[in-house]
Amino acid sequence: MPEETPFKIAVPDDALSLLQRKLADTRLPDEVEGAGWDYGTPLSDIKRLVDRWRGGYDWHAHERELNQHLPMFTRDIEVDGFGVLNMHYVHKKSKVAGAVPVLFVHGWPGSFIEVSKILPLLTAGGAGHPSFHVVAPSLPGFGWSEAAHKPGFRGTHYAELFNKLMLSLGYSEYVTQGGDWGHVITRILASQYGPKHVKASHTNMPICSTDIFGTFRNNPLRFAKYLLTPYTPREREGMARSRMFQKTGMGYFAQQSTRPQTLGYNLGDSPVGLLAWIYEKIGPGTDNYPWTDDEVLTWISIYWFSRAGPSASTRIYYELSKSEEVFRTPRTSVPVGISFFPKEVFHAPRELLRAELNVVFESEHDAGGHFAAYEKPEALVDDLRRMFGRGGPAAGVVPGHSGF
Amino acid sequence: MSTERPFRIAVSDDALALLKRKLNDARFPDEVDEAAWDYGVPLADVKRLVGRWKDGYDWRTHENTLNKLPMFTRDIEVEGYGTLDVHYVHQRSTVEGAIPLLFVHGWPGSFIEVTKILPLLTAGGPGHPSFHVVAPSLPGFAWSSPVLKRGFSGKQYAELFNKLMISLGYDEYVTQGGDWGYYVTRFLAGLHGPLNVKASHTNFPLASAPTFWASPVQYLKHLILPYTALELQWLGNLQEFLTRGRGYFLQHSTRPQTIGYNLSDSPVGMLAWIYEKLVLWSDSYPWTDDEVLTWLSIYWFSRAGPAASVRIYFEVGGTADTPWVMPRPNVPFGASYFPKDSGNVHAGECNVVFESEHTSGGHFAAFENPQGLVDDLRKMFGKEGPAAGIVPGHSGF
Repeated sequence: MPEETPFKIAVPDDALSLLQRKLADTRLPDEVEGAGWDYGTPLSDIKRLVDRWRGGYDWHAHERELNQHLPMFTRDIEVDGFGVLNMHYVHKKSKVAGAVPVLFVHGWPGSFIEVSKILPLLTAGGAGHPSFHVVAPSLPGFGWSEAAHKPGFRGTHYAELFNKLMLSLGYSEYVTQGGDWGHVITRILASQYGPKHVKASHTNMPICSTDIFGTFRNNPLRFAKYLLTPYTPREREGMARSRMFQKTGMGYFAQQSTRPQTLGYNLGDSPVGLLAWIYEKIGPGTDNYPWTDDEVLTWISIYWFSRAGPSASTRIYYELSKSEEVFRTPRTSVPVGISFFPKEVFHAPRELLRAELNVVFESEHDAGGHFAAYEKPEALVDDLRRMFGRGGPAAGVVPGHSGF
Repeated sequence: MSTERPFRIAVSDDALALLKRKLNDARFPDEVDEAAWDYGVPLADVKRLVGRWKDGYDWRTHENTLNKLPMFTRDIEVEGYGTLDVHYVHQRSTVEGAIPLLFVHGWPGSFIEVTKILPLLTAGGPGHPSFHVVAPSLPGFAWSSPVLKRGFSGKQYAELFNKLMISLGYDEYVTQGGDWGYYVTRFLAGLHGPLNVKASHTNFPLASAPTFWASPVQYLKHLILPYTALELQWLGNLQEFLTRGRGYFLQHSTRPQTIGYNLSDSPVGMLAWIYEKLVLWSDSYPWTDDEVLTWLSIYWFSRAGPAASVRIYFEVGGTADTPWVMPRPNVPFGASYFPKDSGNVHAGECNVVFESEHTSGGHFAAFENPQGLVDDLRKMFGKEGPAAGIVPGHSGF
C-alpha cells in the first residue's frame, strides 16, 4: 500500500480577514435597465451573493465538511522539464478490493469538489453493480495543487502528471472520467498511455477534433456515414446551443487563451470580480440546477483560497490553445463511453464522434448540463456502472479489477 | 437657454481613501518564469505601478492640472434616451474665424487625449489655420453620465454630439477621431454631413464591418493587392490582434457586465486591463508612471465607474453575426496613418481627400505624436489644403 500524505484544507485566519475587508469595500458597477443575463452576470445576483459572503456564509463550516467527506492527500510528482509539482487529490478506495480504479478529472471553473457527490456512489459495493476506487486530483494551479512555474505546460504534461499519479498509487491500469478540461486531458492520457495504462475512458462533454481530414483518413467509411446521416432533433438542439455559446459566451475563452495574466490581476484581487466571472458560467451552465448561495460561494472560495490563486487556473487555456491540443484532440483506440446531457454547452455530432473514437457506450439523458457529476450524480454513476458492469461494453477492461 | 455649467473635477476624500485601502490590500497573482509580456502585463510592471499609486502618486496635483482645462457639463437630450449630462472640454481660439473641431476619444482613452493638441490647435498663426476645439467624454466615460437603457449606438452618439456642437453655436464643424472616435465621427459625417459635419479626419481608418470583424480569416486570405511597407505592418498588427489581442474585444462585446465587476472593484485589475493597451497599442511611447496613473485614475474615479465604459462594444454589436455597418459619408475625409496602429488598407468607402503616412506613432496619436497629428490637420484644412475653407466663415484664419 503506497504511503500517502493526508491533507486537510486549513485556510489561515489572515486570509479570511483579508477577504472580509475586501468584501466590505466592494465597489459595484451600475447596470443597464432590464439587462437580465444579456450583459453578463446580473447585479441583483451579485449583490445577494456578496451580502451572503460577508455575513452568513461560514467558510469554516464548509471547510470542515470538505475535510470530513473527502479523503484528501498531497504528493510530489515530477514532470519532465517542469520539476516536482506537489499535487492535491482526493483518493477513496472501495471496500471491494477488485474495484475498478478510475481517475476523475475536473475542468474550469470546476474543481475537485465535483467528485463529492459521485464519490460515495462509485465506491459503494453492491451485488448488482461494479464499484470503483476513485482518484480525483486538482489540476495544477487549481485547488491545492501547485501550479506549473515554467511556460509550456501542455496536454502531454498533464497526461504524464496524472499517469504518474495513478502509478504511484498502485494503479498501473485504470479507467478515466472527465468533462470540460477533464475531457481533453483524459483524451490525451488515453492517446499517450492507453491501452497500456488507460484501459477505457468515459466523458460527459465529448468534443470533436478540428482535424476533420484526420478523422476521415482514420475511418473513411464511418466518416462517410457522418456526412450522409441527417442530424437528430437532439443533435440539432445541441448544436444550436453550442452556436449560441460560441457567439455570446466565449469572451472568457478568448481572454484566458491569449492574456490570462492580465485577467488574473482582476481575479486574484477582487472577490466580487472572481465571483461574477465564475458564476456567469456555473449559473447558466447547468440544467436549472438549484444552486444554493452557499454552494456557489464554496465553489468560488475554493478558487479564492486556492494554493496558486485564481489567476493560475486560467493558464491552461493559454497553454493548450497555443499547442492547439484543445482543438485537435487526439484519436485513441481506447474504448470510449459517452454520456450526452442536453444542456451541455459543447456538442458534437454523434456520427462524427463514432468516426473519431472507439465509442463502445452511449447514453442519452433528458436532463442535465455541463457539470454532470454535480448536477446528476446518480445518472452519471449509473452510466459508469452500465459501461463497466457485467455484460457492459467495457466489462473487465482492467484485468483483476472487474469492480466485483 | 443654456444648461452649460463650468466643471471642475473634485474627487471626494472618501473615494481617495477607498482607493488607498484597496491598494493596500492588493493581492497579486503568481507569474510563470520569464513570462515577460507573453501571458499579459508583467507582474513587475503592475507591482511598480500599484506601489506608486499607493505611495508617491498625488492625485490632487493631477486633478489640479486637469482642472486647468476649460471643462463644462451640459444637458443634451437624445431621442428615446432622455437627457444625458455631457462632460466636455471647450476651448476657443483667439482667432474668431477658427475652424470648429469636435475631437472624439475612444477606449481606453478619454478627454485627456486632447490635452497636448489643444494648445497647438487653438494657437493663432499666419502660416496655419487654427481651431475652436470641443472634446467631450463619451457617455459612461470620465464625467459624462452613463446610458442605462440598451441600444445606444452610432445613431445616438451622432445625435448627441451633433446637438452638443449646435448648442455651442457650431452649426458647421469638422471632426477628428480615433478608436471609438472614428466610429462615432463616421456616424456623425454619415448622418449629419454635409449639413453640419463638413469634413472628417481620423487616425484610425477602419473599413466597414463585413470585411473585418465578421470574417477576419477570409478577409486576410482574400487580400490580394500588393502592399506597401506600411500596409504590411498593419497586416502584422492585425494578425497580432486577431491571434493574441482580441480577448478584451470579445469580452466587452459579449459580457461587459461580467468584466465590469472586476474593473469597478479592483484598481489592480483595472490597471492591468487598461495598461496592457496603453503599452501594446502605442509606439514605444515613454509613459511615465504618473501619466499612466492619471489615465487610470480618470477611469477609476469616473462618474459611472469603469464598467460603464466597456458597454459601447456590446451596444454597437461587434460579434461576428452582427457586424458594424457604418454609413458611407458624403464629406471630405482625411486619414493619418500610424504604423503601430491597426489601420485598414485604404478607407475605400470614404471620399478621401487627404492622406498622411507617418513612420512612427501608434493608436493614441494625439497623445503620442501631437505635433504630427496637428501638422496633418493644418495641412488638410489650411490654405491650399484639400479641405481649405470647408466651414463657411471659418477658414481658420
